[in-house]
Amino acid sequence: MAGEVKYAEAIRQALADELSSDPRVVVMGQEIEALGGVFTATQGLAERFEGRVLDTPLAESATVGWAIGAAMAGLRPVVEIMFMDFITTAMDQIVNGAAKLRYMSGGQVAVPIVIRTPSDAGTGHGPQHSQHLETWFAHVPGLVVAMPSTVADAYWMLRHSIQDDNPVVFVESKYLYFRESGEIGASTAADHPYAARIARRGRSVTVVTAGRMVAESLAAAESLAAEGVDCEVVDLRFIWPYDRETLAESVERTNRLIVVHEAVGDFGWGGEICSWAASELFYSLDAPIRRVAAPRAPIPFASHLESAVVPDRSAIESAVRDLARH
Amino acid sequence: MTPTSRLELYETMVRIRELETSVESLHYSGRMHGSFHSSMGQEAAAAGVTGCLRPADLVTSTHRGHGHAIAKGMSPTTIVAELLGLQPGSSGGKGGSMHLHDIACGFLGENAIVAGGVPWAAGAAWASRRLGKDLVAVSFVGDGGAAQGVLAETLRMARTFGTPLLVACENNHLAHSMPSERTFGEPGSIAAWAAGFGMRAEYVAGDDVFAVHRLATEMIDEVRASGRAAFVEIEVWRVRAHSLNDPDYRYLPKDLGKSYLQTHDPIANAERDLPLTDAEAATIRERIAGEIAEAIDAALEGQAAPARLATTGVYSEAFEQEGRRRGW
Repeated sequence: MAGEVKYAEAIRQALADELSSDPRVVVMGQEIEALGGVFTATQGLAERFEGRVLDTPLAESATVGWAIGAAMAGLRPVVEIMFMDFITTAMDQIVNGAAKLRYMSGGQVAVPIVIRTPSDAGTGHGPQHSQHLETWFAHVPGLVVAMPSTVADAYWMLRHSIQDDNPVVFVESKYLYFRESGEIGASTAADHPYAARIARRGRSVTVVTAGRMVAESLAAAESLAAEGVDCEVVDLRFIWPYDRETLAESVERTNRLIVVHEAVGDFGWGGEICSWAASELFYSLDAPIRRVAAPRAPIPFASHLESAVVPDRSAIESAVRDLARH
Repeated sequence: MTPTSRLELYETMVRIRELETSVESLHYSGRMHGSFHSSMGQEAAAAGVTGCLRPADLVTSTHRGHGHAIAKGMSPTTIVAELLGLQPGSSGGKGGSMHLHDIACGFLGENAIVAGGVPWAAGAAWASRRLGKDLVAVSFVGDGGAAQGVLAETLRMARTFGTPLLVACENNHLAHSMPSERTFGEPGSIAAWAAGFGMRAEYVAGDDVFAVHRLATEMIDEVRASGRAAFVEIEVWRVRAHSLNDPDYRYLPKDLGKSYLQTHDPIANAERDLPLTDAEAATIRERIAGEIAEAIDAALEGQAAPARLATTGVYSEAFEQEGRRRGW
């Protein structure tokens, strides 16, 4: 597809192309059929693909369970959970069903489902519509956790996830839906589908991040460049599996590591990266590893309060400056 | 379709009873460890409902599902091997007693999360219809499961989407120690609740396998023809404790299970109604006991899976190969 599109359009295009190319694909969720999705991700698809883009009742648990059954019977269902916070109402089916069925059945069944769900603060949706919960799913054996940050990845990672034989929790950025533009271009998978992407080459510090925080980190990197600090920004793309090879290669060059995520820092996935790096890359590190993440609070509604908890470029900049002094 | 004969229904019940009794012995003799939930006393529900299904039809089950697995055609050797954690088992010991699966015979699986398997059955039946397969699904739940939100959600979705599903609710009077009378009221109340979803919902006493089978056949035929869901509450009794080491004397009169069997045993009732003479019944029971004993011997010959397999089969083979190469 030529020309620039928005992130939300890339998601829609990926769904349309999968619906076209694979008759096993069905899309299920709330307000996705008649309305076209609260973030327009399915707009026009119900008309184009009759009977394959389906509004469900407000019943996330049964919807995910239904998709699991449909997957066991040979379909490739994509479920939209309207806001990531709502995924809590479907946790049992995701954690005890989708994630464990292959294992519990001795490989007799696969559960190729994708659960698409938007997260992020920054849109004024308040405490129950904004939380980043990807760490929970990265912790569960059997799940893949995707978190695209660009238009091209929104498209290609979604297409890949729908064809993945494992259940994928696909965390979209609602902050970027209508802000991020770009070209879909050619496939973004490097030498393997779960490879991280070096979003910016640099020599001083490795900033590893994902989702919306990639853009914040890149912006911080530009300001810091003027100060002579040359950041390398690694976009993980997948929280699980995370690409240790690319991370190791980067840290071996920069000798400094910062992890940035919008999720709460305590027990967040950044802790996992730090622990792995401290253990495996210890002799490459010239400075302590740092984390930039949200404090232990829900995402507040009011913009000025929200800015107080969501990491931004200035928080990233000061962490990098601090680290670069070592 | 070959209708299951009355004698076959009886034999299925005997097979289930024999398996559950033998598994108990394996446990007491120390050859099986871990959790075990006996379906003794509930055989008419498993045999009666499953007995009107075709081989391609689908079944999901509960944590108390050995009987459903047997009735759907899963091999007793595979079941017992899984219970013993040995390799000929359905997952070589990864799942165990509450996670039997046999996709080849349409047994989508047990599920130890109460009522968690209902949407699987609904979705699988719905998807199969879309793929052009003329099949139905049965999802077994208990009265405990009837209190779970996901059952209500699934019945709501079944009404919205239409799916050839029969929910077979085995009301065994007890959600572990909570009496269903306290949660729902008298037997039949769960069916009355389900009727509120706009589907046919019936109650049947589960000590008469022929009555269960008659009603289930009629309902399955309707479900198959209409593609719409239905619900049947089958009143049974949990003869054994919730699980093997459950101190049920703390919440039940002593020997209640045993005295229930004296008056309501579905197997004895079937012998009376078929009818079978004592000698005929003894011959059948002996033959089936021999089959189960052979199956257990075969299972006991199984090998323990190598420990390295414990961390495999979590993801697809291709994914795990990539992970091994790249150090995930």
